Amino acid sequence: MANPISEVGRQTLEMLSSFGRVTLFASDVARNLFRPPVRFGRTLEAIYDLGVLSVVLIATSGFAVGAVLGLQGYTTLVRFGAEESLGAVVGLSLIRELGPVLTGLLVTGRAGSSVAAEIGTMVATEQLDGLRMMSVNPVHFVALPKALAMTLVMPLLSAIFTVCAIFGGYVVGVELLGLDGGTYLASLETSVDFREDVVGSILKAVIFGALVGIISTYRGYSSEPNAAGVSRATTSTVVIASVTILFSDYFITALWGV
Amino acid sequence: MSASANVTETIESHVTFDSIFLSYGTRDVFRDLACEMLARRVTVLMGASGAGKSTLLRMIGGLQRPDRGHISVAGQALQELDEPGLAKVRKRLGMLFQNGALLDSMTIFDNVALPLREHSSLTEAEIATAVRERLDAVGLEGVENLLPGELSGGMLRRAALARAIVEDPEILLCDEPFSGLDPPNVERIEALLTRLNRERGLTVIVTSHHMASSLRMGHRLVLLRNNTAISGTPEELATSDDSEIRDFLGADGVAYLKTLSSGGTSE
Amino acid sequence: MQSSQKDLVVGIFVMLGLSAVAYLSLEVGGMSYSGPGGFTMTATFDEIGALTPRAPVVISGVKVGQVTSINLDDDLRAKVVLDVRPDLELSIDTSASIRTSGLLGNQYIALEPGGEIDLIQDGESLDFTESALNLEKLIGAFIHGSDVEGD
Repeated sequence: MANPISEVGRQTLEMLSSFGRVTLFASDVARNLFRPPVRFGRTLEAIYDLGVLSVVLIATSGFAVGAVLGLQGYTTLVRFGAEESLGAVVGLSLIRELGPVLTGLLVTGRAGSSVAAEIGTMVATEQLDGLRMMSVNPVHFVALPKALAMTLVMPLLSAIFTVCAIFGGYVVGVELLGLDGGTYLASLETSVDFREDVVGSILKAVIFGALVGIISTYRGYSSEPNAAGVSRATTSTVVIASVTILFSDYFITALWGV
Repeated sequence: MSASANVTETIESHVTFDSIFLSYGTRDVFRDLACEMLARRVTVLMGASGAGKSTLLRMIGGLQRPDRGHISVAGQALQELDEPGLAKVRKRLGMLFQNGALLDSMTIFDNVALPLREHSSLTEAEIATAVRERLDAVGLEGVENLLPGELSGGMLRRAALARAIVEDPEILLCDEPFSGLDPPNVERIEALLTRLNRERGLTVIVTSHHMASSLRMGHRLVLLRNNTAISGTPEELATSDDSEIRDFLGADGVAYLKTLSSGGTSE
Repeated sequence: MQSSQKDLVVGIFVMLGLSAVAYLSLEVGGMSYSGPGGFTMTATFDEIGALTPRAPVVISGVKVGQVTSINLDDDLRAKVVLDVRPDLELSIDTSASIRTSGLLGNQYIALEPGGEIDLIQDGESLDFTESALNLEKLIGAFIHGSDVEGD
């Protein structure tokens, strides 16, 4: 017979302590960043798993999104006789928002879930305990390389996504809909500002990368040591990281524009 | 020949548990538990599932802390230690986990080499020699470049054993080393552990359900029951006044002990 | 895959990513090492309309630079700073007017060379300017039949 008010209170406290745990975990990871030894090999492995293996997904999705933007943009702009601005429309929406956000969501689904699953499995099979018994810090050995790799990889993938999308818009606008290629690119180049748009875009991607990196490693690390726990860790990573990306997108956009 | 202690030799205690209390929520695990494991002897922790055998083992390695009580490992009191102090104690321990707990993404060679690469300043060549020596000692050949996922249960366990002994620990902890293995592999592991104890003087502490191996290997048995521990040599427990203890060994166990002490071989 | 092969692939991936970032920054974003042009002039207008910084500066239809900044001067008129190619030789009576590209397009500044022999120097201001067309005034003038106010 749960009193609804105390239930809300309990849930709130649970959420707050959950948030506290993630923050403590994040600071633990950050502290480990400055402890030797530097694990280049493991970080490179993580960059391979998270970045290289995501490129095909990112490039094809980028192209598709750019193509759709090109199509939608064109049909709307043509009504106002402003179809020459298609490059600007496609470019700005991608660079400012769609590039980092969609890349963040895609990478969360692909790489974030795999990190959570991998670490969760390591918890369940006592691999992390094995590391502890060998006096190897599991956060330093397992979580840090993955979180670091995710932070480094996200801006690169976001840029690849954006370039492929611009190309997708180009193909649709120029080849299919008859826009002039030079106009497309010129409109794109004159409307995009390096400082406001491109730097903001990269900054967003870096922040998203760090967020997904921490959330996915944390969920894996704190999962229950059984198969159900691993599966819960995986799904909760995708949900939490996706929502966090979308919310923080608003805050970063608001603050960066100031 | 039965595996009982030599009366004239003084054996010091290597691991001591004193007044240990532990509970998970409302469930008591240990209530005023006390026992000791002697140096250079094989001690087998036995008990029903859920009695806390693995928990006790993990406490030795500092992976689990009791709510109250004192644990002493190789002369060091664990509860006073911080992380660096605990690391020093762990250097003298080697632990074999139930499913090996080798890192999935690394080869067997890299797994066994890990403690050396992390802690020692040996060259790669010296590490390679040490790794191969240990793999040899556990009877594994040609598996260096395989991943843990590619090994069978028995081989995986032996590879994990190689990792556990690679830094020449004083105390070897094994969590259910026989579980899930077929009889030939059980024999292999038992022979390895016995040899490590006899030849290298390792203190071996094992948790097990496997009655026959426990009786053969164990110098002393620690029976976890009613949230406490009862220790004794296999013979002491077999002739105990407490019928429950004798029942735990079972009629087969008692009979088996008789065959061991009369010099018979196991079937 | 061998770890040396993996290293190579990671290297290629990072190169790819950095090239994408470079393309977006330099080509699309217009970030440049030495700045757009180097030759600065100012022009003051009563009305700049929808002119924004980085709008193109054009001579005879060819882009020669861009608008760097727009501020109010002491007389509360719009002071626009232009940055153009340093090799341009413009007479001191060059005029600057704000035009619209197409009907709904972006606004830009068109420079028309004058006839004087003396050339304008770096940092000087243009005397002849033509403000942006105010659409409301134009329509109002048309409706009421009065003269269009321009300068």
